[in-house]
Amino acid sequence: MNREKIGTITDLMKSRLTKPMQYYLDLCTRCGLCYDSCHVYYGIPKREYTPVGRAETLRRIFRKYFRPSGRFFPYWGEARELDDRAMEEVREAAFSCTGCRRCMVNCPFGIDTGYLMTMAKLMLIGNETAPEELVILADSAVEKGKSIGEFKEGFKSVVGDLEKIVQEKLGRSSPDGLIPMDNGGASVLYAGLAGAHSIVNPAVIFNAAGESWSLSFFEAVNFGAFLGDPEKMQFIANRIVKEAIQLGVKELVITECGTAYRIQRHMLGTLPFKVSSIVEVIDRYLREGRIKVKAGAISEPVTYHDPCQLGRNGGVFEEPRRIIGELCTDFREMTPNREHNWCCGGGGGLVALDNEKFRVQSGLVKRDQISATGAKLVVTACENCVSQLDTIKSGYGMDVEVKYLTELVADNLLL
Amino acid sequence: MLDLFAYIVMVPMVYLAFILFVAGMVWKLVRVFRSPSITGTLGLFPRELPRPLAVARDAFLVPSAFRKDRVFWVFIVAFHAAVLFLILGHCELVWNIPALQVIPHRVFLGAGSVGMVMMIGTLYFLFRRFGAPVREISVPEDYFLLIILFLSILFGSILHLVDRLGIGAMHVPVQAYREYFAGLLTLNPRLPVMVSYSPHYAVMVIHIFFSNLFIMLFPFSKMIHAVFAFFAYSTARR
Amino acid sequence: MSEEIKVDATMDLKGLKCPLPIVRVSKKVKDEMQVGQVLVAETTDPGAHADFPAWAKTSGNEIVKVEKGDVSKFYIKKLK
Repeated sequence: MNREKIGTITDLMKSRLTKPMQYYLDLCTRCGLCYDSCHVYYGIPKREYTPVGRAETLRRIFRKYFRPSGRFFPYWGEARELDDRAMEEVREAAFSCTGCRRCMVNCPFGIDTGYLMTMAKLMLIGNETAPEELVILADSAVEKGKSIGEFKEGFKSVVGDLEKIVQEKLGRSSPDGLIPMDNGGASVLYAGLAGAHSIVNPAVIFNAAGESWSLSFFEAVNFGAFLGDPEKMQFIANRIVKEAIQLGVKELVITECGTAYRIQRHMLGTLPFKVSSIVEVIDRYLREGRIKVKAGAISEPVTYHDPCQLGRNGGVFEEPRRIIGELCTDFREMTPNREHNWCCGGGGGLVALDNEKFRVQSGLVKRDQISATGAKLVVTACENCVSQLDTIKSGYGMDVEVKYLTELVADNLLL
Repeated sequence: MLDLFAYIVMVPMVYLAFILFVAGMVWKLVRVFRSPSITGTLGLFPRELPRPLAVARDAFLVPSAFRKDRVFWVFIVAFHAAVLFLILGHCELVWNIPALQVIPHRVFLGAGSVGMVMMIGTLYFLFRRFGAPVREISVPEDYFLLIILFLSILFGSILHLVDRLGIGAMHVPVQAYREYFAGLLTLNPRLPVMVSYSPHYAVMVIHIFFSNLFIMLFPFSKMIHAVFAFFAYSTARR
Repeated sequence: MSEEIKVDATMDLKGLKCPLPIVRVSKKVKDEMQVGQVLVAETTDPGAHADFPAWAKTSGNEIVKVEKGDVSKFYIKKLK
């Protein structure tokens, strides 16, 4: 690796030296308590898949270029020079980490390994070895933000077709206006995803509740964050913020996408509107009596998978449980659950990568958790989790069904 | 020659350790405070307690360790509680602190138990690193710090226990320690006869040598966790 | 239809979850297609009608035709 490249990478590292990064990089005592708190390590018990292993991969390089001990006495903390092999290890560390932050709960200091990995990801961008899939997705999302005017009509026309599906589900006389877009004066802006399920089911629920809403032109998910590019992340997140401000909505509702929720809700600072997850909104509608569901409609055993970004990192724990509680008669908690729940292994952009075998292996603990409940239906509220749970299901040949929470609600509405 | 070595350890090296410690800590803290803040929060959920209480719980009860490894937890808590007593005990060697004498005791606090707990603790922390999986993530820094800490505590404990038990009539009066420290503090260093002619002297020099080394390394090693841990706790409980 | 487009490959992306349609198409175009060849991507995602054009623009490929329907067909021509 030449001087120039090393300079580029170390400059990027420097640009990421925020307050938390400074202390997370210095304070680990390597006590080893986090060792088996990573779901990947459970499935593939190797040092590099432990939280401390990932963090040390980064720290050893960091010490070499940013700490006197690493410069003058590299053996002291096993400081390591940048080379291709080191960057290969950085890639393995960063893109086997879903950023679920389960290790943060299990660290006696609360070190955020997921946050440390954002520096690792930025180094990979500098080294031009970031996953190509995520680069393409982030660039497309940025392009869509820049020239949305060109794409609006195409999108609007297909959404028109979806309105008929919504009409059928609701039993309304006309499909017109069931999925409003560019709806100035709406109180809610809803950001979905590319797939029809992420638009149709919430549309059914919004209409049943008589909400004044508008569908966003943008997908909620943030590929800039998965890629680890702070500027693209900010730009992609701001597309929706701008739209919300333009329409003057009071609330931005995020689809079942953990990353999108955490970023829009917790990572952008103060915004002139409220940010909620669709799960919180459904729970609110139910409690306010704006929608009603068929109580106890589902009698088969059901379990709920807490998406990491929604639960531990987002604070939405009880809402989904209340909703499921109304619909299902045999709800079974996974062990552990809530902030201690195991990550399914799909986050951090990992489901976009060509790594199915790895994801099946790293999903072993989730398989064991689900099997232990004896549930036949696994409900969750995150697109990545659903994809990954499906991968685990087929990888281990499990006899379960995986469902979105919105789907469960939309299918069991009392109209 | 040995006299010179003893003097260097007892006076210039103590000053050097002090300067490095203070400068290092200031430098480390300034660097953190001058780094950019982040937008948003890295906090964890649920938020059951108000932030200061949650930080205090994390710091003093170490719930993550309690859940994971009870034995390790007992050692962590006992060791760090002993550190507190150790600091207070040394303060009494420097100044007369009437507030600490509410329960009248002979200096040093704890009658030797503080050193015992810390020695057993450091040995436990060290031996823990000899086995998998902690061995795989340990680096020379981890062993080195534990070894010099152990040696420092070992010689410090000998100093205290031999005195307390009156073995070989070895005795350094508290007043002699206070005179020595007063000299250092007023930039008028002197080695009282009761110290430098005491049969303890060699043990004391070794104790202070390892302690100096440890204090010098403190800001530049993982020992910084003593301060940074609180930053991390408050980030996690934001 | 004025002229028939010669199709070199077809991809079934129906029912795939976010973000796989773009990932699969972009991989296929990059690794398996020759410049000038046309790939037909069949998808049920409404979002594709904005995402595919945005992807084509950044990756420098061209969407020569779109057939809208329950299953929409995107005719993607590899340009480089």
